[in-house]
Amino acid sequence: MTISPSITSPERRPIALRLAGLLPWLFAVVVVGYAMVVGGYAATVVSFALIYAVFVTGLNLFMGFAAQVSFGQNAFAAIGGYGSAVLTATYGWSPLPAMVIGIAAAVMAAAIVGFPTLRLKGHYLAMGTLAIGLITYEITVEWQSLTQGYLGISGIPPFGIGAYEVTSDRGQLVMLSLVVAACAFAAARIRRSRFGRALSAVAGSEEAATALGIDVSRYKLMAFLLSAGFAALAGSLFVHVVGYVSPEVFGLHMVIVTFTMLYVGGIGTVAGPLVGALIVSLLPETFRAFKDYQDLAYGAALILLLIYAPRGLASLFAPRGRS
Amino acid sequence: MKQTFWATSLVASVAMAGISPAIAQETYKIGVSAGLTGYAATVDRAWRDGVELAAAAVNAKGGVMGRKIQVIVEDNRSEPQEAVTVYRKMLSSDKVDVFVSGCVSAGNFAAAGLLLRAKVPMMLCSILPQQAEHLPWAFTTLPPAGFEVEKRLEYLKEKTQIRKIAVLHDPTPYANLQKGVAERNAAKFGIEVVSVDQYKQDDADLSVQISKARAAGAGAILKIGLGGTTLTAAKNIKQLGADMLLLTSLEDLAVFGPVSEVLGDKFFFVASPSQVYEALPEGGLKTGIKAFLDPWREKFKDRDPNWASRGWDGVMLTVAAIEKAKSLEGEKVRDAYETLSGFQGTTGVYNFRPDLHQGITENPFVLATIAAGKVKVVQ
Amino acid sequence: MSSAVAARTEASAAAPGSARPILAATGLSARYGHVEALHGVDIRIGEGELVAVLGPNGAGKSTLLRAIMGLSANSGEVAFRGELLPRSDAVAVATRGIVLVPEGRGLFPPMSVADNLELGAYRLRDKAEFNRRRERVLTLFPRLKERLGQAAGSMSGGEQQMLALGRALMAGPKLLLLDEPSLGLAPRVTGEILETLGLLNREGLAIVLVEQKAPLALELANRVYLLSLGRIVAELNPRDITSHDDLAQHYFA
Ligand SMILES: Nc1ncnc2c1ncn2[C@@H]1O[C@H](COP(=O)(O)OP(=O)(O)OP(=O)(O)O)[C@@H](O)[C@H]1O
Ligand SMILES: [Mg+2]
Repeated sequence: MTISPSITSPERRPIALRLAGLLPWLFAVVVVGYAMVVGGYAATVVSFALIYAVFVTGLNLFMGFAAQVSFGQNAFAAIGGYGSAVLTATYGWSPLPAMVIGIAAAVMAAAIVGFPTLRLKGHYLAMGTLAIGLITYEITVEWQSLTQGYLGISGIPPFGIGAYEVTSDRGQLVMLSLVVAACAFAAARIRRSRFGRALSAVAGSEEAATALGIDVSRYKLMAFLLSAGFAALAGSLFVHVVGYVSPEVFGLHMVIVTFTMLYVGGIGTVAGPLVGALIVSLLPETFRAFKDYQDLAYGAALILLLIYAPRGLASLFAPRGRS
Repeated sequence: MKQTFWATSLVASVAMAGISPAIAQETYKIGVSAGLTGYAATVDRAWRDGVELAAAAVNAKGGVMGRKIQVIVEDNRSEPQEAVTVYRKMLSSDKVDVFVSGCVSAGNFAAAGLLLRAKVPMMLCSILPQQAEHLPWAFTTLPPAGFEVEKRLEYLKEKTQIRKIAVLHDPTPYANLQKGVAERNAAKFGIEVVSVDQYKQDDADLSVQISKARAAGAGAILKIGLGGTTLTAAKNIKQLGADMLLLTSLEDLAVFGPVSEVLGDKFFFVASPSQVYEALPEGGLKTGIKAFLDPWREKFKDRDPNWASRGWDGVMLTVAAIEKAKSLEGEKVRDAYETLSGFQGTTGVYNFRPDLHQGITENPFVLATIAAGKVKVVQ
Repeated sequence: MSSAVAARTEASAAAPGSARPILAATGLSARYGHVEALHGVDIRIGEGELVAVLGPNGAGKSTLLRAIMGLSANSGEVAFRGELLPRSDAVAVATRGIVLVPEGRGLFPPMSVADNLELGAYRLRDKAEFNRRRERVLTLFPRLKERLGQAAGSMSGGEQQMLALGRALMAGPKLLLLDEPSLGLAPRVTGEILETLGLLNREGLAIVLVEQKAPLALELANRVYLLSLGRIVAELNPRDITSHDDLAQHYFA
């Protein structure tokens, strides 16, 4: 494994602790491996979880690394998803270039929105991003000539390499696992980089960071753009894996689920988004047999997690926590 | 460290337990993907109850081809991605034989590709998928979008002097389809659509749209869409003192009492046969509804029977298809669905064809109003 | 203590404020919302000078330092080595070599000591120079060297103040603005830190030291500004202040 967990100075830590840091990754490998072997329903649940992991990894860059708040990341997932859907299903493009355009459009939208709002602080920014999410949702509903409103867009082709299309469960799981691994690797690199340290400084104290010559609003904007890019990638992956998109996919529901994933997994850690996405996707399925009590059991499980792992599951394995 | 390992193993084992496949039994399994929570909850809970009621009735008579029907219901939360998950779960873990799924159209569309690959047909509450390759495996109990609209146009043409109308609709696919029909077909009834406006299901005021309709000279409003907005529209019409009729879509009867109190004899609604059972003439339709309505009323008293009755039809159509195919196999049942014709259901007669997967071909609806607290059929 | 005293006598050989100013602020005002907390202040800091700013709570001392940095909404002119500084662009001010150690130190508590130090030299790209500065800081504060991997937030108050100072030095300051470095520290640690400040000043670093503990500041400073209610009420030579009463008189003048 080349991915290093949330450790900044591994050289001084005992081996046992370093191995403990690998546990979240081991957990992910076991779950994905299980889904790969069993296939079917498990594969669907884990595939969605992996797509969410991409989204939450981006959210974590902005909310965990830079300690900002955005309730509007679903907007960028929608732009990425609809970009892919419209360009492939309506205009017959192939998925990869459609995805690239979708991501570029989302990053541009994030720049337009982020440039003015990231100068705002605290709840203004949060409110601003919430508005972006709601407005984008409305647009996907209302702009029927492009999005077909609630009817949604069907017939979105799956990803492929040349003539080979990734349609099998296992193929999709492999593809998504590779994407998630690349995203986690990128997050780990970013965190260790000069840019990542600047983000940590911004997270610690904007004023202190400014006084050290760190251009706070520029870094916030960069983190925001990056997180929008991840969100758009997730949106695009979703539509190509499912083959269908409609506005509800990127609704407020997505905001709630991904926030839960981020906090359950461990905000600010590298492994947290993946662990959170897997756990939060698997838990409700685990309790499906409870029927009407499914939500109750799920809620109780979440509360237990927050009591026993208040800083997230991944932080259980990194004794110094955010460092 | 101990705690850490404990946590990992707990989490892993819990996660695994949830997705282990169930043991197959010798029953015929009907899967229902329904929005038991979320925006479709009212409709889909009724649909599910209709499906379960029908399954119980079939089982009481010995089941189908010697097998008892087992209904497996999963909540898709009215969300497409949840629908994909529950369809997948019912396909691969429960090994469902057929789906008789609810009204969350986006969810049914999203899962249509899965069913195609699994060769499992679905009989739906919602409109049919839009993708041509998904169509062979999907059937619906839903009457064509035009029927609800045409019933209202017909009434206006035959019983009133009103020749200019306004259309008010929400953004759902079914409402959009109906709006399209109204725009295209009004002229056939000598009626002109003078304004078309969209509202949202949670709008608390529609007076802007209604003023606009009045200014355009509309004598009646065709409201297309469900929920509390019908009462809002009625109140706005009254507040504005507009002399207009309000003709609304098919809906839970419980919604209409308060509306009728506001607008009195200026309010009409489309009703399905099961909702006006008492007023129906004796005949095949009434008998068909009775088979459903007796056990329904026994169990649910005066709860609105409309959506449940189509859920009932969904199961009965499936049973008929199985018996016709003399097979429980997905592909054979699918083929048999396509040949079911003259099937008397609770919502009308179903005539499926290979090129027509929307079986209701004759308008089963009536137009009704509420007079002295009683539902009265006017057309 | 003795070396700090020595520092004072040595540095005060120069006539107060006579050196070429490294920083000159004229008519510097600052607001919080609609409330003005600093009313047209003029100050000058000579090259190599250590200037103390004293004043009661709420006088505007912190506001003054923040205004110089361009952190708070402000108006007026600030010239650094004869060049006007852009207002409300703290990054530009920091880039010129003015470094603020804010009230409460502004450390990044979850980050390690090493990472905090590294962030001090954020704008420095030269690896060799980086290593040189780091070596220097760790020599000045050997205690930091033992705790490089420790989270900044888990250190004692004194160690944190050393880290704050060390991080500021990593930036290679030409002018150091210190806001109450002695806050909440035991006298012994305070002495150690002030001793280091004296040392740095003797090496030629210009320092503005905001302090509540007047006697300590007076021991080090070449010159003293008294700030009250957002105005400079007096500019003094520490040698002229012989007793506490003397100072108190100025406070309430
Ligand atoms: N963020 C703020 N918002 C509003 N008013 C403020 C803010 N910060 C400071 N003030 C006000 O500005 C004035 C000057 O405050 P400042 O912090 O500069 O005083 P100070 O001299 O540093 O005091 P102390 O010795 O207690 O640190 C005070 O009246 C204070 O209430
Ligand atoms: Mg202060």
